[in-house]
Amino acid sequence: MELFGNLAMGLGVALSLTNLFYCFLGALLGTIVGVIPGLGVLAAISMLFPLTFHLEPTTALIMLAGIWYGTTYGGSTASILLNLPGTPANAVTCLDGYPMAKQGRGGVALFMTTVASFFGASFGIILLTLFTPVIADYALRFGSAEYFALMLMGLVASSTVSEGSAIKGLAAVTIGIIFGLVGMDTQTATVRFSFGVLGLLEGVSLIALAMGIFGVAEIIMSVRRVRATDIDPESVKLKAIKPTRDDVRRSWFPMLRGATIGSFFGTLPGTGPSIAAFLSYAVEKRVSKTPERFGNGAIEGIMGPESANNAADQTAFIPTLSLGVPGSATMALMLGVLMIHGVAPGPNLISNQPELFWGLIMSFWVGNVILLLLNIPLIGLWVRMLTIPYHLLYPAVLMFICIGAYTSGFSPLNIWMVAAFGSIGFVMRIFRFPGAPLLLGFVLGPLMEEHFRRAMVLSRGDFAVFFERPISAVIMALTGLVLLWSVWSSESLRTRRKTRAAGRNGAGDKGSAADEETT
Amino acid sequence: MYRRDYTDMAAGAFLVLFGAGVTYTSVTYYPMGNVGRMGPGMFPAGLGVILAVFGVILGLQALRRPGEKPDIRVFSPFFVLAGIAAFAAVIVPFGLIPAIVAILVISSMADLKIRPVSLAISCLGMSLFAPFVFVFCLGLQLPLLRWPF
Repeated sequence: MELFGNLAMGLGVALSLTNLFYCFLGALLGTIVGVIPGLGVLAAISMLFPLTFHLEPTTALIMLAGIWYGTTYGGSTASILLNLPGTPANAVTCLDGYPMAKQGRGGVALFMTTVASFFGASFGIILLTLFTPVIADYALRFGSAEYFALMLMGLVASSTVSEGSAIKGLAAVTIGIIFGLVGMDTQTATVRFSFGVLGLLEGVSLIALAMGIFGVAEIIMSVRRVRATDIDPESVKLKAIKPTRDDVRRSWFPMLRGATIGSFFGTLPGTGPSIAAFLSYAVEKRVSKTPERFGNGAIEGIMGPESANNAADQTAFIPTLSLGVPGSATMALMLGVLMIHGVAPGPNLISNQPELFWGLIMSFWVGNVILLLLNIPLIGLWVRMLTIPYHLLYPAVLMFICIGAYTSGFSPLNIWMVAAFGSIGFVMRIFRFPGAPLLLGFVLGPLMEEHFRRAMVLSRGDFAVFFERPISAVIMALTGLVLLWSVWSSESLRTRRKTRAAGRNGAGDKGSAADEETT
Repeated sequence: MYRRDYTDMAAGAFLVLFGAGVTYTSVTYYPMGNVGRMGPGMFPAGLGVILAVFGVILGLQALRRPGEKPDIRVFSPFFVLAGIAAFAAVIVPFGLIPAIVAILVISSMADLKIRPVSLAISCLGMSLFAPFVFVFCLGLQLPLLRWPF
């Protein structure tokens, strides 16, 4: 039983004192970040990124992963109590969570979403454990053409499937790849796009880029918009968290369906936890015998989505760890951490770094148990966190960003880069360009160029290589389908908007808004 | 409301210019090689062209639809970015604590409301907390105070 041996080894790694501490720290910070609106997971991870330089790669990854799934736990708190999603993945939880809080059942909702989150995450971790080694084994056969095709599919899918205009997403990816090419070309040692700046020889700093585009730009947009709100402390008193038997009975199947939906969409590039949560909500509403209860505090409406987004958080690691191809910007950051620590991502990761892989997976269990323990008794504390005024919070966050950027190379150039990317991120938001594809393109750009050039050398300059090798051809065809679908769906969205503008009925109906996101 | 989506037209025009610039730089300054053995200029040159094509498509789409006026604010970005710039300028010659005070004071002006008491408390608190985390806990070599003259 090789699997059990590996799991035991991983558990040993995860339970070492250092890793346990950083797992706890990550989960705690993640929950805090998730609770506070106006501070996203990408901003948080990039802000705490420099801290991880001084750690072992395994410990670094354990902490950052803890932040990633911790935010999803914490995000539901703000959704339920304030009707403000802490993270986009928790947006649907508002629809039924907030009505529950208004009925005085906020404590029940918080307790049950924590349970759902734990259930979904466990489901995702089991799939991650079973499938990652199998996929990695299969991927050992991949050549450069396959890798290029996979990365292309990841980039195209993540820029077109997510919200907003597909063409802007594609443009953002392209700009990201161009930023990724700055610095020394690995094959010929030619310095590109450095414009004589010596510090740019090693390329644009991933940390500065992520902190600028997600941290600084987000702060600029949130200043004077995010307000701390008053909450009724009575509604979240501990005595009010016990669910009724009816609540429990209603929750089983939504949790199971949510976990399945979430696990599937977590692995696909471009979809991830937000889309999984929306879909799960739509499914629950459709299979329910009493769909009219949705939007008025139906417990199924929070259990399904919260289970789905946590499952997706975990299964998002499958392509990242087995293929080295991240499907989302957060996963790209995780990959960036690995590369900065000198660990080569790809199908060999599991066999070359078994401690890292199995330790990370087992730390997910540990982290989720920590979150379960952390969330339920500390609900009152999270609620109080929400009342921290933003005008105190954002200068401190900026300060941490600057110190982090400076200490990542002890060069003020990194801070200037943060400012530059902060302005770029701000301009991108004005013009409604998504930031996540840019980061993904930035991380994958150099790898893509390398595989592209190598594939072309092997085929002696014949572009048909991407369509002649069967695996690559299938992936290229899927990429084409995604592109076609995005063109078609943007067209149909436009006609639907026109008919709705003509009809003008049902405006502002939150339930139907959630439906539209998914159909 | 604009009759045409001028925001996206401007964005499209920018993409075309940026893409053209990337391609021009690659073709002029870096060896192109050939398709079977690519030089460092080939891949970025291609990307520049692709970006420009995206810009054209975006601009054409914008011609067909009305657009909203973008919400541009001047003071929030100005003070936030000025705070970061001040930190970058101060940290090496003067050390960590003056840099912390500089960024806290300048960036909190982005709120367009000056709260002297809470600002002073947060400056004091952060000047203690940040050295505690970065210097004491993580053991980084960061001078707290310096006088360059």
